[in-house]
Amino acid sequence: MTKKILFTLAAISLAVCLISSIVYFLGYLSDGQFKLTFLLATIAWFVSATAYAKRGKKGAESIG
Amino acid sequence: MAGSLSRVMARMDNLYEFDREPVDEKNLKPGRYFAGLFAGEHVAATEFVIGAFFVLHGVSFWDLVIGLAVGNLLAVLSWLFICAPIATRTRLTLYWYLRRIAGPGLTLIYNLAVAVLYCVLAGAMIAVSATALGMAFGIPSPELTDIYPSSVGWVLITLAIGSVFTIVAILGFEGLSRFASVASPWIFVVFIAGAIASLPRLGVQSDLSNFLEVAQTQIWNGVPIEGQEKLGLWHVMFFAWFANLAMHVGLSDMALFRYAKHWGYGLYSGIGVFAGHYLAWICSGVMVAAIGRDMNPGLMAFEAVGIAGAFGVLLAGWTTANPTLYRAGLALQTMTPGWSRWKVTLLAGAITTVLSCFPVIFMKLLDYVALYGLTLMPIGAVVFSEHWILPRLGIEQYQAEKYGWAFNWNALIVWVGTLLLAFTALTSIHLYFRWLPSYVFAILVYTILQYAVSSMDAFKKYRRVPGATTQRV
Repeated sequence: MTKKILFTLAAISLAVCLISSIVYFLGYLSDGQFKLTFLLATIAWFVSATAYAKRGKKGAESIG
Repeated sequence: MAGSLSRVMARMDNLYEFDREPVDEKNLKPGRYFAGLFAGEHVAATEFVIGAFFVLHGVSFWDLVIGLAVGNLLAVLSWLFICAPIATRTRLTLYWYLRRIAGPGLTLIYNLAVAVLYCVLAGAMIAVSATALGMAFGIPSPELTDIYPSSVGWVLITLAIGSVFTIVAILGFEGLSRFASVASPWIFVVFIAGAIASLPRLGVQSDLSNFLEVAQTQIWNGVPIEGQEKLGLWHVMFFAWFANLAMHVGLSDMALFRYAKHWGYGLYSGIGVFAGHYLAWICSGVMVAAIGRDMNPGLMAFEAVGIAGAFGVLLAGWTTANPTLYRAGLALQTMTPGWSRWKVTLLAGAITTVLSCFPVIFMKLLDYVALYGLTLMPIGAVVFSEHWILPRLGIEQYQAEKYGWAFNWNALIVWVGTLLLAFTALTSIHLYFRWLPSYVFAILVYTILQYAVSSMDAFKKYRRVPGATTQRV
């Protein structure tokens, strides 16, 4: 369950990184707002994706 | 001398012992394994530089679009028809297959050549990272024409980054490795988001109505900047083809495809090549145009997506440099008896860090990539000829293995001769185009030499039977 949550969080973070650039291009975000959003989404990605990867390794070890 | 060589060869074999045997059928991997591998490998720090250089070299829009499409397709076909079939038939790495063909002595030389080339490439990646970190300290990036270090600040920043990369490689923190492994998808998004976010700066309307006009007049306008040669369709096509020459035609990716269930898995290379080389190169071209054609990957990404972008360049340089440091250390370990892994990695890291201070490698990355592939390609030609052509002509294969030779001198002659050809007789041809006639030359000459030597009576009298001393037959 936790793995699923982490995976979802990671995917959403990555999507926010990409979508924020599109929203900025369309003129709905200022330069500062876009860059802050991208930074926060980046932090969220690395935290969730790294935790997901760590859990994946632990799972493999417990099976092995 | 012979004893020293034997000891070095034994150490080299020992390093690669774990994959000496052909891959077993039950260990073959599914297609998604290769999809993931290729997707991660071809979006790296080099992409920030290469795509930007196409803009600086005055490549026009359609030359870029068509050249990259055809060139990358040719690269995929090279993996598909040249590398993957040999790998799936032999189930060996290039190291062990080359050893059978060229002898352990020549394989050692090949390993060392790869180590040196990897060190130089890793040095370029440290320099790319330095452009990002240097911004925080007000250290300017070197100029396009700089060969030597441009400032004390640049030297200090590259030494600092290179030292950190080396220490991390030595300590091998598993957590950091995991951190690096999740970087690839995000770095890919940095490229795309960075390009999208740079479009308004170039004047592209939100409805994309003038995108083509901007692309053809502001980005890929066909005008090189001062001091840079103009590149056209054929240059782009051939560059995209040979960017990974050592991997496909050079057969280094036998290490990957030996796990493939079918040679058709060579097509998975398209995922990495078209996402990485095609898309990422276009994106970095947009970003460099947006900052006024300043070759500064750190600044490109920072202006596009902010601090996260600068971090992305720093991280991309690290994730590219780290495995190359490891491979260089592995190759150097054969020449350093009794040295522990950390000492060898330190040596490789020290060499790489010093090289990174010299901006010429980073600023001439396109030419360096060409030289890298050209240097290693002849070995791929030797193996190709040995595998496919010699048996069809009734020429005995794997003579080095069968007769216990340390060197297959024909292979060495072909390697040296091909490079001499490329750098003396073919100088009227642009560097990007020399590899193809050189490849054909290498295949032909090796085949002829092997035929000639195999049919010589004098040679046959001195065959060494495996397990015995040299004797007349």
